[in-house]
Amino acid sequence: MATIDLSVTTVREANELLRKYGADGIDVEVLNPDARHHIGVGLTHPINVHIKGSAGYFCGGLTDGPRFIVDNNVGWGVGDNMLNGSIVVNGNASAIPGVAIRGAEIVVKGNIGSRAGQVMKAGTLLACGNASFMAGYMMYGGRLVILGNSGEKVGQDMTGGDIYVAGKIGEMGTDAMLIDLPQKERDDILAFLDKYKIPFTGSFQKIVNAGKKLRYPKTEPRRRAIPFFESFADNSYWNAKVQEDIHVKSQIGRYRIRGYGASRPMPHLCDIAFKKDIRIGAMTDPDVLSKVEMKTEVGGRSGANPLKLSMPVMIAPMSYGALSKSAKLALAIASRLSGISENTGEGGMSKEQREEADQLIYQCLAGRLGWNIHDMQKANGLEIYISQGAKPGLGGQLMAKKVTAEIARIRGIPAGIDLRSPSRHPDVLGADDLVIKVEEFREATGYRVPVSVKLGAGRVRDDIKIAWKDGFDFVELDGMQGSTGAAGNEVLEFVGIPTLSAIQEARDALTEVGGLDMPVILMGGIKDGIDTIKALALGAHAVAMGTSAIIAGGCIACLQCHAGTCVTGIATQDPEHEKRYNVPVEARNIHHFLESVRWQIAAITNALGYSNPHQVTRDDLVALTPEAAAITRLPYHPEYRERDQGLLKAS
Amino acid sequence: MCGIAGILYKNSAAADSGVGKALIDMLDGCQHRGPDSTGFSLYRDPVPGHLRLRFIVGDGEVAAKAIERVKTKLTEFQAKIVEEEQRGSSFAVLVKFDGDLQKFAFEMEHAAKLSSIGESLDIIKDLGGAYDVDNIYKIENFKGTHGIGHVRLATESDVAPEATHPFWATGFSDISIVHNGQITNYYKMRRRLEKVGYFFNTDNDSELIAVYLADKLKHGFSLKEALKTSIEDLDGTFSFLVSTKDEIGYAKDKLAAKPMVKYEDDKIIAIASEEVSLNRLFPGRALNTSEPAPGTYDTWQRSISA
Repeated sequence: MATIDLSVTTVREANELLRKYGADGIDVEVLNPDARHHIGVGLTHPINVHIKGSAGYFCGGLTDGPRFIVDNNVGWGVGDNMLNGSIVVNGNASAIPGVAIRGAEIVVKGNIGSRAGQVMKAGTLLACGNASFMAGYMMYGGRLVILGNSGEKVGQDMTGGDIYVAGKIGEMGTDAMLIDLPQKERDDILAFLDKYKIPFTGSFQKIVNAGKKLRYPKTEPRRRAIPFFESFADNSYWNAKVQEDIHVKSQIGRYRIRGYGASRPMPHLCDIAFKKDIRIGAMTDPDVLSKVEMKTEVGGRSGANPLKLSMPVMIAPMSYGALSKSAKLALAIASRLSGISENTGEGGMSKEQREEADQLIYQCLAGRLGWNIHDMQKANGLEIYISQGAKPGLGGQLMAKKVTAEIARIRGIPAGIDLRSPSRHPDVLGADDLVIKVEEFREATGYRVPVSVKLGAGRVRDDIKIAWKDGFDFVELDGMQGSTGAAGNEVLEFVGIPTLSAIQEARDALTEVGGLDMPVILMGGIKDGIDTIKALALGAHAVAMGTSAIIAGGCIACLQCHAGTCVTGIATQDPEHEKRYNVPVEARNIHHFLESVRWQIAAITNALGYSNPHQVTRDDLVALTPEAAAITRLPYHPEYRERDQGLLKAS
Repeated sequence: MCGIAGILYKNSAAADSGVGKALIDMLDGCQHRGPDSTGFSLYRDPVPGHLRLRFIVGDGEVAAKAIERVKTKLTEFQAKIVEEEQRGSSFAVLVKFDGDLQKFAFEMEHAAKLSSIGESLDIIKDLGGAYDVDNIYKIENFKGTHGIGHVRLATESDVAPEATHPFWATGFSDISIVHNGQITNYYKMRRRLEKVGYFFNTDNDSELIAVYLADKLKHGFSLKEALKTSIEDLDGTFSFLVSTKDEIGYAKDKLAAKPMVKYEDDKIIAIASEEVSLNRLFPGRALNTSEPAPGTYDTWQRSISA
């Protein structure tokens, strides 16, 4: 038995020691914990850890295997995302105990705080005392056992799993219902109580999901798709797309869901031009790549190992789930061939993707779908998803057709539901909580990996300041031209903030707080190297490409990504459809496209008289429309439009 | 977005209770929740017939002008300065005054950024952490029976001393609040209060709580009653603490979205955002704490004999 005294050892050092003792199979006693946060975070060995006092937030979080005993209380999120192992808390647990657990056993002898077991997937959370507001909120699986009273709104929006209450049941949550308790389940619970030596003789009531909100009641009728460029080519009234929309809504009686992003005309990077005369000769220089240095590092500002990009470009986050495994694989291969980073998106990391991508950012979203300590430790970057540009403020959507057994397994959810992911993180209800969450990720990965945040452009000015204050290593900022696998059409068209406004607001806000050391990666409708340089000049450190990369890999922009029947095999989980996707060919195509982006960046940088695209500034830009000028405060020079079009042709 | 802390010594004579040190420890313990600025509501020994006023005046030329305006206004009200002190970004005075407090407060608010008025209340707040503020204002050795404090991470409104908590309940001597969370019906409530004549110093939604409570007290509500109605009237996520000359209290939203932990024994009641702050008062001890339930409120009195 080893001893760690937190009155003389920092939590960071203690966690490193715990991992070392874990590897050696030595049990540990932790003295003077004094409710400090993050004790035992990131431990992946089955050792016993005895915490002699109270622990703070995320005690034993992001772990697999250890057995903790806490003599007194714990703070928010005890056992966060724990896979195997157990935590016995002899006092009370604060809010969200057992959040997102995936198999662990969390036993609290006292009372538990609000939102207990939020988005838990598997395992058991037991409260010997009372639960509080919204116990079992949005749980996907596992069991929540409450020996005391349930509190109000128990089982609110639960999708799966079982809640057993021995005491008084308060108001039932939305879409939860009481059912009879099978004898076998009662026996299982009693065996569990016995295992932890908890005497109990009472009876239970059982609460499960009522199934009224798991699926949209009516699905959209199948129709021949009206492609993007036909739908939105001009602003004529009652065009084919508008008529189709009305017809479908008259059938289903609700908003429509589609893929892709905003399609209305709105100010974008194409309304910005380069002010300097570009020597067209330079645009055809075959050696131009050797004349421009564009290697870009991202994520090292707090001492983590930065991502090393061969050019200021990343692949934007897109989930395995929204996209097929094959499409994700092609993106991973292309990212490696082009020396840039790939991003898992929201749905977890696949083994194949990890093997193919050299640099992989792993995304954590509110539902903690596919999130676990092992993949965190394999990642080159961790990203907290707050929202995306296409639907800021809302969670992801994945329609039932795409929630296959395999996808459900990775994400830890029931198969065949219309998955509407939560829009709020269980443990991030403000900038103050977010600080503690970021620290948890750093503890879990030994401070080696950059931690970024993905923000859908909403209140950019405020959000970006918070991101900077909370110490993120970089921000992926997504404007409303960014696409998504599925969202309500009205949301896509009318909710977000254009990419151009987003970068301008971000730049202004960071200038105001002196935070320009935090890189902003801009995304949302970035289609080529020209957009990339404009974005850089406006204040981005790099860009991320999603839609353009999948178009390079065969997407036909039919907007039916949500349907699950993608004819190209990209946005589908149907093996018959996926078969059509030729991974080596599409990976090569995406790689070729990325190399064309590289060449464009080099050619334009060189033609503007620079040797590095990061040298291009706002002084090199003009606005072609009054709207773009108003947004960016660039000088309004419509006469540059002609030259700008020439540039597009030349490149 | 913040951390809060408050403590009340139930029985001790004021001179023996190290409120300053306790608040510094608790706020430093949750400084990660708010590194931008830190503030304290302290209760000094009252001087009969006198009021304490503290203003945020900034520094240099700006400060000199603000102080001049304050002094002119004080002369208008025949409030005679007994003591004065300029420290950090603030200017504090002890004045002899026995007129209409609300009218006086309203006028003083227009002279400079008013931080607090009270017979004993002194709100000290400035940029930086608990120790930074202590370095300027020497809070560590402050003795008193109770007080509240706050660490702030600015989100929507400015990083500025005046936007720092605690906020004084305008027009009501000796009442202040600290808040963690976000009031989502802020503009609606603010417009309503402005219509009946209240003045807002900042765009900080927490100031609304102070003004809201002031308005309720003006209409004859007890502090406890005002806390009760606040849970119904204020929308959003909040955990807040309130202190008066003789008591501290809390209110917590129905959504239970912001943390709050309390520790109580025969001698003290201490409330903070996180147990780690409470544990700072008792290093090495496992505390018997509890979390106030969603939608609840309470107050605690000190024994007046002190």
